[in-house]
Amino acid sequence: MTVATESPQLERLKAVLSEIADLSHAQQILAWDARVSMPRAGAKARADVASTLTQLAHGRFVSDEVGTLLAELDAAGHDPESVEGALIRVTRRDWERASRIPSELAGELVQASGVAVAAWDKAKAASDFESFKPHLERQLELKRRYIECFPETDDFYDVLLDEYEEGMTTAQVEAIFGRLKGELVQLVDRHRGDPVEDIPGPFAVERQREAGQRVLDAFGYDPESWRLDETPHPFAAKPGAGDIRLTTHTDQRDLTSLFSTMHEFGHGVYEFDVDPSFARTPLGRGTSSAIHESQSRTWENLVGRSRGFWQWFYPQLQALFPDSLGGVDQVSFVRSVSAVRPGLIRGDADEVTYGLHIILRFELERELLAGTVAVSDLPEVWNARMNEFLGVDVPDDAHGVLQDMHWSVGLFGYFPTYQLGNVISVQIWDRARAELGDLEEQFSRGEFAPLREWLHEQIYRHGSRYAPSELLRRVTGSGIDPEPYLKYLHAKFA
Amino acid sequence: MTDPKFAQLRERLAETQDLTKAATLLFWDQRVMMPPGGSAARAEAIATVTRLAQERFVTDDIGRLLEDLRSLEKGSDYDSFEASLIRVTRRDYEKATRVPPELVGEINRASALGLSAWGPAREESNFEALRPYLEKNLELRHRYIECFDPPDEMYDVLLDNFEPNMRTAEVREIFDRLKEELVPLISEIAEAGEIDDSFLQGEFDQDAQRAFSLDVLRRFGYTEDEWRLDQTPHPFMTTPGHGDIRLTTNFRPDDLSSLFATMHEFGHGVYEWGVDESLAGTPLASGVSLGLHESQSRTWENLVGRSRSFWRYFYPRLQETFRSQLGSVDEEAFYRAVNKVQPSLIRIDADEVTYNMHIILRFELEQDLIEGRITAANLPEAWNTKMHEYLGVDVPDDARGVLQDMHWAAGGFGYFPTYSLGNVISVQIWERTKEDLGDFDERFERGEFGELREWLREHLYRLGRKFTPQETIQRVTGSPIDAKPYVRYLRAKLAPQAV
Repeated sequence: MTVATESPQLERLKAVLSEIADLSHAQQILAWDARVSMPRAGAKARADVASTLTQLAHGRFVSDEVGTLLAELDAAGHDPESVEGALIRVTRRDWERASRIPSELAGELVQASGVAVAAWDKAKAASDFESFKPHLERQLELKRRYIECFPETDDFYDVLLDEYEEGMTTAQVEAIFGRLKGELVQLVDRHRGDPVEDIPGPFAVERQREAGQRVLDAFGYDPESWRLDETPHPFAAKPGAGDIRLTTHTDQRDLTSLFSTMHEFGHGVYEFDVDPSFARTPLGRGTSSAIHESQSRTWENLVGRSRGFWQWFYPQLQALFPDSLGGVDQVSFVRSVSAVRPGLIRGDADEVTYGLHIILRFELERELLAGTVAVSDLPEVWNARMNEFLGVDVPDDAHGVLQDMHWSVGLFGYFPTYQLGNVISVQIWDRARAELGDLEEQFSRGEFAPLREWLHEQIYRHGSRYAPSELLRRVTGSGIDPEPYLKYLHAKFA
Repeated sequence: MTDPKFAQLRERLAETQDLTKAATLLFWDQRVMMPPGGSAARAEAIATVTRLAQERFVTDDIGRLLEDLRSLEKGSDYDSFEASLIRVTRRDYEKATRVPPELVGEINRASALGLSAWGPAREESNFEALRPYLEKNLELRHRYIECFDPPDEMYDVLLDNFEPNMRTAEVREIFDRLKEELVPLISEIAEAGEIDDSFLQGEFDQDAQRAFSLDVLRRFGYTEDEWRLDQTPHPFMTTPGHGDIRLTTNFRPDDLSSLFATMHEFGHGVYEWGVDESLAGTPLASGVSLGLHESQSRTWENLVGRSRSFWRYFYPRLQETFRSQLGSVDEEAFYRAVNKVQPSLIRIDADEVTYNMHIILRFELEQDLIEGRITAANLPEAWNTKMHEYLGVDVPDDARGVLQDMHWAAGGFGYFPTYSLGNVISVQIWERTKEDLGDFDERFERGEFGELREWLREHLYRLGRKFTPQETIQRVTGSPIDAKPYVRYLRAKLAPQAV
């Protein structure tokens, strides 16, 4: 038996990286727990703990030791195509970014987020923007300090974007969003007069959970490694290998939890399927937010809103809700869950209006950071733009500027990746269909394994081995391109 | 103005505390929330976080700070926050610097893996599946003991982790005293004839049990803002941060034992809850020893929760909840049933008297294991023999024998004796509360527990770890640890002529 020999530098680097990964594991549990299980009074202490861990992880990562190891490894040379080469590349990129940020600032960002998210929660419940304002101001101030750590960047927003979407520039996003915006506004207008066929509930929460669980089971959820909880805002987390946590929000008035469950499954399965040998290294996670979102959107929309899927699942759903769905046929149901309905809430938005919610946030966060929109004017600007983009009137801030938690936890530069994910999802989808044949027909039989296996092979198992643009090129043969997505929307919402 | 060195020390300690709290949450999550597939990664994460906590604590600069702060300590009142923090930290530091961080990490990793193996091993009653983990834990404990000056007895080193400054010989003396008094008491009770407790077995809806338990807890002082209650096979309490107290209990479908487990864990929780807020973020912010901790869980479980006056208030409510099972059982019969003394297999289900025999057995066996008088392979046999000898019961399988507790799987050797020490201390403190507040009966009968809680908070809980366990007992009760009040209490409550 031959044992692959690893250079002592690589071995040492991996030891440091696994320690950082363990601290990140702990941080994910701290964060997950804060949203799922922590008693409210624990928030202050939790913010301290999270901040300490961040500072510590950051301090250890940006140490000279890691810098020296990387320099030595680069000097020794390595195959850029190999896993080791990828590990060194990704580590270097992370290290160069992280080294710019003082550990205190890294800690402060987490500290502020812990406090701000609790304040946001309360502010949202009371629809009280004023009480959230100082926290948002603080986050913006910290983000500006963060941006200042990268003085050479052309556009300040590139700094933030690059954290979630390696290599993506503000100019590219503007080009893609510019192309989308006009088309989406037109599509929305075209559908504005559509008769709205809302399906009245109630849909008992327990039954919805059962429906969600059945779908997850068919997709490939395994209780040995997954769990599903309730939170006001659904999310997915992977604290460590073999531990995938989804949350959903079940409301008896509608069936949205079903779609959010499928959405989070897409995030979960990407993480679950990463090559186990990448665990506890920076390769052991999805490669970017947009690629991640492309997968949540794939399972939520391209699968979960497809006719084939509903051919399989609708009879089961009808059986679970005979009173509410007994008299609704499948075609009307699918039309209803896909209908274009300009609304207030991003999380509930349909496939067409969703993009406009994102473009609005992209514009506003740039303006907030640039200082061209003051925090105190934000609700007013938000409401004006909601009217302009979607033609809706925002009744209160809870249904407006306070609806998303992102800004409270300092996620600026993150929103665009949602829409980029939509764009990418269709590029990958077209490729999957070209290779796998009639997916809808498979779905109609409750078969999702061929799709999942193809995605596993093409995307999931690679973790962060390839940069997002490279991964996309490997899978689809091209760079990010909004045209397939627009074609898909036009075909579906003709 | 604060001494800058003292401020530095606090800052360093806050970091260590934060890491410890993160590890605490990882443990809680593992037992309450984590899917089983996550255990391997979790073991690594816990090992790293605990190792870092240790590494960041045993650094030379903390040693230097502690040296530099000697004059501040001498110049400050013994009871002051400053003197206490420096004194306690120095003791922790001197202990911690003995143990290499790698060993701490290894111990914690083995503990997490052992815990994950224990669940299935117990379920399948398969001791062999757990044995390698026990052996690993024992080996690590021996390496741990070797880090210290040769003690009188190896077990002293382990005991000190749970009951600081206590010697094995002292425990043995107290336990010998208990054995001497309790063995005859158990036979006297047995001879007096059996008490009917058949109605405690039956179908008890778990949601109804939960609702009733929460009712009791709220009367004790539980609020949704600061506490939570979950279900785990083995009840425990932990606090991953200030203002965040987590209890678990085991609602079983066929009996009411969870009620007592819940009150027990509340006792642990309220001790942590009551630690003075000014100690938060320092190593002083927790209960001082497991013996003292257990004294409080036992106070709320037994001295309160198995008292006549407690049930005077709660029994009608319980009857209301479980009308078909308890409708025809009167309060006195119920009281006698929940205080029934009868030798049995499971420690956590044991009554107030035989409980101590379960502990003495474990105390003896773990010394035998540590001293090498028996090996892990012989453990089931040794266990079963002693169960027969002390309690006259035959162990039908390891699930109900040596595999029933998680402690050894987690490497917690030296922990068990603190349970009985807690029983002993609980009555010492209880007598003191009654001297100050008078009899509680009338208050309990009205469902009022606030005065008791506040007295305990004022005299015990708020002190945290400022003083040693011995000093704490002395301060609260005016005397050192003493088995007599406890034995007296058991006789008065449970001897045949008393009931």
